[in-house]
Amino acid sequence: MQFLTSFVLVPAMIVRERFRGLFQKYLLVLFMAVAIPLAINGIVEAWFGYRDQRARLDQLLGVQATSAAAEIHDFIYGITNQLGWLVQVPWSDEPDERRRTEALRLFRQAPAIVSLALLDNRGLERLYVSRIGLNRIESRTDRSADPAVIGARSGQVWFSDVSYHRGSEPRLTVAVVGNRPSVGVVIAEVNLKLIWDVISAIKVGKTGFAFVLDRPGRLIAHPDISLVLRGAEEATSKPFRAIRDAIGPAGSGFATSRDVHGHEVAAVAAPVAGPDWTVVVEQPLAEAYAPIYAVLWRTVALLAGGTILAALLAYALAHRMTEPIRVLEEGTERIGAGSFDHRISIETGDEFQRLANSFNKMAAELALGQEHQERIAKLKRFLAPQVADLVDRAGDDSVLDGRRAEVVVIFCDLRGFTAFSAALAPEEVMNVLSEYYEVLGKAITQFEATLISFSGDGLMVLVNAPVPVEEPALRAVDLAVEMQKSVQRLIAGWRSRGYQVGFGIGLASGAATVGRIGYASRFDYTAIGSVVNLAARLCASAADREILIDSEVAECVRGKRFLVELGDRQIKGFDEAIPVFGISFDTPIADGKLRRPG
Amino acid sequence: MAGAATWTTSLHAQKLAMPVIGYLCAESPELFASRLKAFHQGLGEAGFVEGRNVAILYQWAEGRYTQLPALAANLVARNVDVVVAPGGAEVALAVKAAGASNAIVFEMGGDPVQLGVVDSLRRPGGNITGVSSLSVDVSPKRLELMHELLPTAAKLAVVANPTSPTANSQLQKLRSAAETLGVHLQVLNASTEKEFEPIFSTAAQEASGLVFTSDPYFAFRSRGLAELAMKYRVPAITQSRDFPAAGGLMSYGGDFAQSHRRAGMYVGRILKGEKPSDLPVQLVTKVEFIINVKAAKLLGREFSPSLVSGADEVIE
Repeated sequence: MQFLTSFVLVPAMIVRERFRGLFQKYLLVLFMAVAIPLAINGIVEAWFGYRDQRARLDQLLGVQATSAAAEIHDFIYGITNQLGWLVQVPWSDEPDERRRTEALRLFRQAPAIVSLALLDNRGLERLYVSRIGLNRIESRTDRSADPAVIGARSGQVWFSDVSYHRGSEPRLTVAVVGNRPSVGVVIAEVNLKLIWDVISAIKVGKTGFAFVLDRPGRLIAHPDISLVLRGAEEATSKPFRAIRDAIGPAGSGFATSRDVHGHEVAAVAAPVAGPDWTVVVEQPLAEAYAPIYAVLWRTVALLAGGTILAALLAYALAHRMTEPIRVLEEGTERIGAGSFDHRISIETGDEFQRLANSFNKMAAELALGQEHQERIAKLKRFLAPQVADLVDRAGDDSVLDGRRAEVVVIFCDLRGFTAFSAALAPEEVMNVLSEYYEVLGKAITQFEATLISFSGDGLMVLVNAPVPVEEPALRAVDLAVEMQKSVQRLIAGWRSRGYQVGFGIGLASGAATVGRIGYASRFDYTAIGSVVNLAARLCASAADREILIDSEVAECVRGKRFLVELGDRQIKGFDEAIPVFGISFDTPIADGKLRRPG
Repeated sequence: MAGAATWTTSLHAQKLAMPVIGYLCAESPELFASRLKAFHQGLGEAGFVEGRNVAILYQWAEGRYTQLPALAANLVARNVDVVVAPGGAEVALAVKAAGASNAIVFEMGGDPVQLGVVDSLRRPGGNITGVSSLSVDVSPKRLELMHELLPTAAKLAVVANPTSPTANSQLQKLRSAAETLGVHLQVLNASTEKEFEPIFSTAAQEASGLVFTSDPYFAFRSRGLAELAMKYRVPAITQSRDFPAAGGLMSYGGDFAQSHRRAGMYVGRILKGEKPSDLPVQLVTKVEFIINVKAAKLLGREFSPSLVSGADEVIE
């Protein structure tokens, strides 16, 4: 038991020390197993999301810039196309009223045209109409050296540099020639403020917009007209030029720069062929990147959520994995502490459950072992050890149940012991009794008899119960002889010390009720019946060195042991005198008439 | 009770917190209704609606232009956030003369640089900016159009308002144009409504056409002028489209709806915190030519094809 306890407790302590480590290890491993793939997935997704969004932004801004440039181009070429209608018919030398009508109609159709001049094939001004100034008809001023005329003649359509009317309104001079020299040239002054209608309609995202710069980088169109009206100022145009200059060659993706207010913007440019302008579309970086940020935030949120989930999952799993260990630990501890009825309850359906079952089995076996030990201990109290073992090996103690059995009952006690004990010191009495029972016990054990009870110097022994034996009467007689011999040797010693003590035995055979009596854990095996009384009476009437047996026993040992017929005796408790026999223990194998020893 | 009191207080505070526009007008609300509507439209485009997030304090001179300096001083003293001076150089000059430290947004037909209202179109300087409708600049075009309608007329009459700050510059340009066109110019003056009828009777007797210089006093009395023109069967041209709309012959001038709307937008931008000096003076992009064919018929005249094709609007 002590060994078992220490065997269980020591590992339990080790388990407890390792417990925390194991939980942490599981937690860490499980957490990593979930969190790392999640993190990798998140980072990869964020990276691809970022790349996709950037590519999308590139594409989007690129398309916006191209479409904005196309709109500006349409604005300009819409005007040049209309101007082209004025250079279709060759000039005659006469004033052309029809052309004036057409020119005025064009004014109505193209509000951006401030004034226009029609020149004939010689470069002479034939007609000039203006919205503000006076018209001139057939002024015939020679304008053949006008760069507009020279430019248009070399390229059909000619654009001047942008000029600022009264230092404020951007204006462009456009010259168009017809498909043959005789139709002359038309030179128109265009108020670029009217591009505002086009440029302000271009929306890039929510707050993005487009603007137009001329070749030197002056602002000529912007949704904020007040900036355009100051476009001639270096301070106004500089930040816009900086954005244009930050943009690389076409196809290199959007550039980031800073706008007038210092905010970061994503910008893409597209050229406007002809006047050689640049359209730039810009979008605040914060807005352009909003989807990227959204993707990143989503990833971060997912990662955070995933991590929390991983932690919870890892905790739950680690708990699930270490919990059986804890239960095992607790169980083994309790079993170790002796609670063999404790059962470890683990229903995991795996090795843990198997281990728990093994522990339970072990506990059950330990319990059984302990029970066995206890039972043996109890049986040994009244059974010979061999018998006890036999009973125990049989695995059930039903042999101890009450029943009727043919038994031989042996009673024996010392003669004159009361006086003897009165004269002695208690220790001496106990020593004497110890020696006495020592030799008796040895004999009882030797003959596999059942010790029923002690009382003082007397004791009762049963043969053939609870375990039947061969020839119980003979065995009982031999036991009695052995007891007499052993005790007489002791008595011889005591007599030498001056104590007058004798030892007598009575045996009787017959049917008796045998079985366990008692309560709770305190119980004895006993025999009840007249045979017990008879044996007791025989013992009482036996003198020192005498073994008295009844007729039944005598019949059984007749011819095998030396019997002495003692005749009928009146025995207390029996109505009639019964025949009594004696056994001589000095001559074990003999037959004949009993000679009463002197 | 306490709740009601708090509510009243907060409403009061809210009204106090609302920016206030001082609107100085030389005319009456009735005559100015179309301009005011355009102004409100511009203000609305900048995000301001009267009564909701902006309050407007109006001062109406009801046609008494001499009252303008006093009314301007009144507005300046009220410490409004922006003073609006629409409908002519007189109003702008009156407000500027009142020494306002408030922001000023003007709407006029004249050239604000020439009038000394601003330093330049690009950089107006000071606390003033606004919109010019170019009506004053196009006075010679009106003479040209009248000349085209009456190519045989050797003499054309021009009506000027001697009290107008732009009168002299307009007359100068008109004289130069008359020279170019080869017509004789007769200058007639009118600064009150009473003087209108004599002008028409004179024109009916002496000249064959009347050209009105750009002047708000004339522009806002288009109906009366149109009636007189028809009464005396005088072909006349003014700056305002109200004139042909009221039965007059023709008009040539800047689009007032555009100029007043842009003035409203500028006021909104200033209310949002921009400085007037950062807002260049805008010139109206649209100068419109309106003709009334019915009036021409009544007068026994006919518009040439070039005039008809050049007209932005033909009233039939």
